[in-house]
Amino acid sequence: MSSPPSSPRRIAVVGAGLAAVSTCDALRAQGYDGELVLYSAERGLPYDRPPLSKDVLLGKSRRADIMLRPEQWYADQRVQLRAGARVAAIRPHSGGLELADGTVAAADRVVLATGGTPRPLPVPGGDDPAVHLLRTWEDAERLRERLLPGARVIVVGAGLIGAETAAVAVALGCRVTLVDPVPVPLAAAVGGDIAGALHRRHTAEGIEVVTAGVGSVERHPGGLLVRLAGHGDPLAADTLVAGIGIRPATETAETAGLRVGNGVVVHPGQRTSHPNVFAVGDVARPDGHRVRHEHWEAAQRDGEAAALGILGRPVPAAGAPWFWSDRHGSRLEAVGTMADADRTVLRGDPATGAFTAFGLRGDHLIAAATIDRARDIKAARRIIDRGVPLSPTDLTDEHTDLRTLLNR
Amino acid sequence: MTTTGTGITGTGITGTGIGIRVAAVGDIEDGEALRVPPETSGHGDAIAVFHDGGAYYALDDICSHGQASLSEGWIEDGEVECPLHSARFCLKSGEPQCMPATLAVRTHRVEVRDDAIWLHPGRTAAEAAE
Repeated sequence: MSSPPSSPRRIAVVGAGLAAVSTCDALRAQGYDGELVLYSAERGLPYDRPPLSKDVLLGKSRRADIMLRPEQWYADQRVQLRAGARVAAIRPHSGGLELADGTVAAADRVVLATGGTPRPLPVPGGDDPAVHLLRTWEDAERLRERLLPGARVIVVGAGLIGAETAAVAVALGCRVTLVDPVPVPLAAAVGGDIAGALHRRHTAEGIEVVTAGVGSVERHPGGLLVRLAGHGDPLAADTLVAGIGIRPATETAETAGLRVGNGVVVHPGQRTSHPNVFAVGDVARPDGHRVRHEHWEAAQRDGEAAALGILGRPVPAAGAPWFWSDRHGSRLEAVGTMADADRTVLRGDPATGAFTAFGLRGDHLIAAATIDRARDIKAARRIIDRGVPLSPTDLTDEHTDLRTLLNR
Repeated sequence: MTTTGTGITGTGITGTGIGIRVAAVGDIEDGEALRVPPETSGHGDAIAVFHDGGAYYALDDICSHGQASLSEGWIEDGEVECPLHSARFCLKSGEPQCMPATLAVRTHRVEVRDDAIWLHPGRTAAEAAE
C-alpha cells in the first residue's frame, strides 16, 4: 500500500450531492488551496435532494431553487465542476481516476461521495416503466408529471420518502394507496407513539393505508394491476412509486479493492481502507455501526470530517444524528437512536397531534422524536450531546423549560 | 412573541436616529427573540431582535435558505439556529456559519436606551450611532 504524500495537491470528489459539496466547502474553509475537482454523473449544478419528495413534486420548487451552491461559488472557491462526467474507476495506487469516456485524470486523494441508488421493487413486473423510484431531479420530474388530480397512485414503502410522496400525491388530488408490510413503519427510528401518530395521519388525510407486501405488478389495458402478498383483490393503479430504501453505490470502491460491507467502511476522518481514499454521505458506513446514516445532516458532517481527515487534522466527535421529514403540513424531527432507549416518556398532548417522545437510558436522554415541536428537539439534541443527567419528569413537565436543563 | 406596534411607524423615523422602541429591557428573555413585523419596522421585511446573554442583536427574520422565522430559532453563543434546517447565523454579522445557508441575512442596529430596546431598521449593526 502506498503511503500518502505529505500534503494533498489534487483532490477528486466523486459524486455531487450534499456530502460532496460539503467536502469541497470544508476543504477550502480549512485552507486547502490545491486542485479540487468535483465529478458529477448528473448534468447541471449540484442540488439538494430533500426538496425532491416535497416542494419539487408539489411543483413549488424548480431546479434553480434547490441548488446547493450558486454557480459563482464554484469559481470563487476554485472547485472545478465536471458535470455529466461519470467516474468509471478509481486507481488509488497509481493516483488517478478513469472516466466513463476513457479520460484519465490525476488525483492524489479521492473522496467517494457516490451516494446510493433506490432499491428496485423486487417482484415480477417491478421494472415496469410505470413503477417510479425517487432519487434524482429527473426522477422527480418524471413522477411529478404522473401525479395528476384523480390519478390512482400506489406508494410502496411508508418510511420517509414513501410517506412524503404519498402526502404530496394526496395533496395534489391523487387517489393514493400506501402499502407497507410493517403495521407501524418508522417505529424503530422514532418510537411507537410518534410512528403511530404519523401513520394514522395518512388515513385521516384520505390515503388508503394497506399493511401488506407487494407480490407482483402487471400491466393491463387500464394501467397497472398490483397484487399484494396474502391480500384479497389486486389493486388497480396508474402509477406506482417504490420508496423502499437505497443500496449504497459501492461499485467503484469494490473495484478499487476497498473494504466494503453495506457501504464503504470508514473510520474517523472518513478514512477508508486505502490511505488516499475517503468516503462520505450515503455510501459510507462508519466502522462498528450496523447502519449507514442516510440523512441530510450526516452527509454534511461527513464532508466536514473528510476535509479534516484529508488534511490530517483531528476530527471532533459527531453529535447525536438528526433528521427531519415533512408530510401533511406537519414536521417530524428526530435525534439520537431511539432503539437504544430503555424507557420512553412523552411531552405535550398526543391528542393535539403535536408532541414529543423522549428516549432515556438510565438517567440520560439518548433520543427524541417530535411532531411539530421542533424546539423540543433543539433542546434534546444539546441535552444529549452534553450528557446532562435528568429525570423523566424534567422532560414531561411542560412547566420546565428544557433550556434550563442545559444550565445544570 | 410579536410586537403589536408602538404607535410610531418606522418610516420617517429611521432616518432621524431615534429608532423604534420595540420592547422594554426584560421583555425579551435571554435566549428568546422578538419578531418585529414589517408594519412596525417599516422596513418591508420582518426583523428579529435577539437576546443572547445580555446583548441584543437584530437580523432579517426570514432565513436566507428556507421560509422560516429566525425569531423561532435556537439562540446560543452568539448564533441563531434556524428552526427549519438548522442553518446557523452569527448574530453580530448575519453571516451563515454552516450549511444549508450560504447567504448572509441582513443585520440591523439595536441599542439599549432608557431601559428600552430600540431598533434601527435598515441601518446595519456595524453603523455607528449618529
